[in-house]
Amino acid sequence: MFARGLCREKSIKIAKFKSAVIAYESFFLYLLIMVKESAFDLHDPIVALATPWGESAIAVIRTSGEDCIKKIAGVFKGTDNLSNKKSHTVNYGTLYNPKDGELVDEVLAAVYHSPHSYTGEDAVELFCHGSPAALQKTLKLLYEQGFRQADAGEFTLRAFLNGKIDLTKAEAVNEIIRAKSDKARRLALHRLAGSIEKTINSFKTRLVDMLSALEVMIDYPDEQYEHNEFPPQEFKKLLAEVHALLATYKAGRIYQEGVGVALAGRTNSGKSTLFNLMLKEDRSIVSDVHGTTRDFIEGSIAIKGIPVRLYDTAGLRSTDHPVEAEGIRRTDKIITNADIIIYLIDGSLGVCGEDEKFINQYKSGGRLLVVWNKCDLSGKKVPKAFIPISSLTGQGLQNMEKAIVFLLLGSSPLESDGPVIDSLRQKQSLEQALAALKRVETGYKNRVSYDLLAVDIKEALDAFGHITGQVTSEEILRAMFSKFCVGK
Amino acid sequence: MDFDAIAIGGGHAGIEAGLALARLGFKTLFITQNLDCIAKLSCNPAIGGLAKGNVVREIDALGGQMARLIDSTMIQFRILNRSKGPAVQAPRAQADKAAYALLAKQTLEQQKNLSLFQDTVVDLICDGKMKKIKGVVTERGNRITAGVVVLTTGTFMEARIFIGDYMTSSGRLGEPAAVGLGESLRKIGFEVGRLKTGTPARVLKSSLDFSRLEEQKGDEIQLPFSFSNHRIERPHVPCYITYTTEATHKIIRDNIKYSPLYGGKIVGIGPRYCPSIEDKVMRFPDRGRHQIFVEPEGLNTEEMYLNGISSSLPEQVQERFLRTVPGLERVVIMKPGYAVEYDYINPTQLYPNLESKLLQGLFIAGQTNGTSGYEEAAAQGLLAGINAALKLQKKKPLILSRAESYIGVLIDDLVTLGTKEPYRLFTSRAEYRLCLRHDTADMRLFSKGYAIGLQNNEANERFEAKVEKLNAINELLHKRKVDTHDISAEPLLSKYKGKTFARILKDPAFTMSVLKKLDGALNDFSAALSTQIELDIKYAGYLKRQQEQVARFKRLEKLIIPSEFNYDSAKGLSKESREKLKTIRPLSVGQASRISGVRNSDIAVLLVYLTKKSGA
Repeated sequence: MFARGLCREKSIKIAKFKSAVIAYESFFLYLLIMVKESAFDLHDPIVALATPWGESAIAVIRTSGEDCIKKIAGVFKGTDNLSNKKSHTVNYGTLYNPKDGELVDEVLAAVYHSPHSYTGEDAVELFCHGSPAALQKTLKLLYEQGFRQADAGEFTLRAFLNGKIDLTKAEAVNEIIRAKSDKARRLALHRLAGSIEKTINSFKTRLVDMLSALEVMIDYPDEQYEHNEFPPQEFKKLLAEVHALLATYKAGRIYQEGVGVALAGRTNSGKSTLFNLMLKEDRSIVSDVHGTTRDFIEGSIAIKGIPVRLYDTAGLRSTDHPVEAEGIRRTDKIITNADIIIYLIDGSLGVCGEDEKFINQYKSGGRLLVVWNKCDLSGKKVPKAFIPISSLTGQGLQNMEKAIVFLLLGSSPLESDGPVIDSLRQKQSLEQALAALKRVETGYKNRVSYDLLAVDIKEALDAFGHITGQVTSEEILRAMFSKFCVGK
Repeated sequence: MDFDAIAIGGGHAGIEAGLALARLGFKTLFITQNLDCIAKLSCNPAIGGLAKGNVVREIDALGGQMARLIDSTMIQFRILNRSKGPAVQAPRAQADKAAYALLAKQTLEQQKNLSLFQDTVVDLICDGKMKKIKGVVTERGNRITAGVVVLTTGTFMEARIFIGDYMTSSGRLGEPAAVGLGESLRKIGFEVGRLKTGTPARVLKSSLDFSRLEEQKGDEIQLPFSFSNHRIERPHVPCYITYTTEATHKIIRDNIKYSPLYGGKIVGIGPRYCPSIEDKVMRFPDRGRHQIFVEPEGLNTEEMYLNGISSSLPEQVQERFLRTVPGLERVVIMKPGYAVEYDYINPTQLYPNLESKLLQGLFIAGQTNGTSGYEEAAAQGLLAGINAALKLQKKKPLILSRAESYIGVLIDDLVTLGTKEPYRLFTSRAEYRLCLRHDTADMRLFSKGYAIGLQNNEANERFEAKVEKLNAINELLHKRKVDTHDISAEPLLSKYKGKTFARILKDPAFTMSVLKKLDGALNDFSAALSTQIELDIKYAGYLKRQQEQVARFKRLEKLIIPSEFNYDSAKGLSKESREKLKTIRPLSVGQASRISGVRNSDIAVLLVYLTKKSGA
């Protein structure tokens, strides 16, 4: 059927044919990855943002898979239980966090019953508000309900596997090409190309070596071994490397999904001026009147390639004015959710009690950056921990941006040439591997028997295998017989 | 038709196949070149070992013979790997070779429905379309017809033996090869390859200096392999250990040009896992010495077996290098070591029930399929016999899964991956070895043997009584709680006050023996039974994880590929994979996914076609 689809018309233009071939190949490359990584489980509930990540009026979150309607019904308050809704109905309601009852978003939920959906499975589409912060929350809520992040094109794959679409359908192919090129673009951006595979394969090879040492001792009990010890030092090193690779996930996600940065400070500390400066446009109204910004304003920028949602918040001061009080309440919420808080100190006035209170409250969270604004005006000596800037002249802005990146990524792993993981799948597989390797470590310390150590080593190998392909028992045997002289 | 079934070959595979067919009520001919050479242990004088010991117990659970034979003829018994974990412990016994062979022959002779006949099969009789087997033709011109044939030729098909320059047509030293059959199989269209294996010298016991050898005793308690035996009272004969020296290695290196293997005379591929001493010395030049086990060949013979030092160097060279080994300074060789090269049939030409894809009704088992080892041969013989019988009964075949038995691993590996070297089982070939302990073989397989009819009602009652007892121990351990009385007897248990005995067992510091002292009721059960439950409880966490893996594995195994599935119509398959799938004809998507070279993308395509077909 594929070949027929490709060559339906003899007059097909070469360019068109070429792109079709690329699509065809990439589709199978994709199938390969999918089948490998999913361990053939292509029914579990998945979720993905169907609209581009960023500010918009409405965003659509798509879900599909077993128990998908039931799972969302558990966090959805509407006129009726979502599970009882008919297929192809759109239902108004709110998403809330069952743990604390917190409202997450107001949404419309479109329900589709299997097989009458795009994927052929039970599916729900959520029409949400298009704010990245809110979307992040909604996605987190769904992950907590057992959804996993869908891989690029996975909805289409499922539709294909369930016989809902033909491979030759242009939409499917298009989506995959797009997914591939998006990925490729990201790979280039993050200097990932191929290095993950290399790293994981090196983990695998080293682990196979360690496993083969155990296996040979198990299968040849009467032999005498010169190196009959499991190498704990090498193992420790491997564990640390897996850990380090896993840690890059945060960086990967930061570059992909971006972060929220909130500007905070007392009234008239110059937040709006800084906001406009960073945004390079006049969005916030700037005046000398205290409390000019009463609600938060947000804008999108990029800092050293990291997408940033920047929030200008209402200045903090105690007030009786109901509108301003509401503004301050919202500010609190923004600050609570922000990845980075930039706290401005009015350098012309110096640090006051309110400033100290705020700094003390947030300084231990690892997300607070205190800047000494108006450094051009004041002759005051800037305390060491603070970054001097002038939101008016732009002085110190670069230093502040560097500090933001440092706060987010530490000694930025992306500065180095090492690989970075950015898919939840890879992260989950690495976590699985790490957990198994930690069990090996404890097991080894507690003198657990070889057969049990081997179970966990194999589990770690399988988890790595989900990323780059399974290790076969033949590979283990090969390692055994190439390294050990055994047999009678 | 002269017979319902014919079993060709008198080795470990042939015995099990012949017995199974006859026991299931089929008039069976057991035909072999020499009725005095039945069930020979051609190489090492031992049965069992890692994975292999498990296989012997699996054979027993299904109703085969091997466990009973070794139980009656062992002269030493050991549980291997006691320190390396419960899942990889395995029983191994030294066998009295002559007694083993004699008992096997007697068992065959006494078997109802089974006729023993001495002749050499040289050709097969097929139907006109060459699709179905009808019988066999022998060297002396006998034409014997049957509905099914089980072929177990071992190392005899077109075999040649090598010792230095010496080469002769022989399957075992002193026994002629089976010539002609290999050619017939090639003509029918079978892909036949060459393999090589080797065996060490047998030496005169009284020529050894035992004061220079290290004694290796067996376990004090001999445990039965067979679930039908409760105790074993057999002689305990020790083995001995010694080592090669640099002088040994020098002689081997200096004479390597006389090795038929290194000299290029042998084309067959030898086993990596059981290298000759020539290979060991050449491939691992840094090793200062290699271990040799000196093992008795029986109670009534002077022959001793030199395990670990198989060789096909000229006899004089063998003698010279052996005499550089401590304790062997005045060694007298009775039989030299030799290499044997033989035809094998690439086992991917078989279905998982061991029936050949080319000729309906022809089952192939044992070393003919490229395996090595008595246990691997016997297991295949039994399964081939059972499946041949099931075919005659027009019943569904017995195919054991990788998750339930080593036999399943063995046969699945053979028919799915084929083999290019003599195939041996290793525990590491099994993905789920925690579930394949030797002591649980009957729990895994007895009911299958009973359903087929190879286990009688008496055995079934015994099995059910055992299950009941196991449940009773389990219940006791989960109900019985630690009280003050227990703590005064065993103060270390104070932290478990009020907790169950089962909970205590999860602590590596405590074993069943501690609990047995506290509660007499536990002593009502045999050590074997209480150990079985102890292990189940102790390793429950690991077992549970492994069982979850098994559940995932089974998902793909359950996706059956219809036998008429047309791979040519599945357009998305890669060319290479399509050819492989057409050759192997896997029964399930699970099996397909294990074929080497079949890519995951092809499996995905297969899934699409199969689910579409089922109308999903």
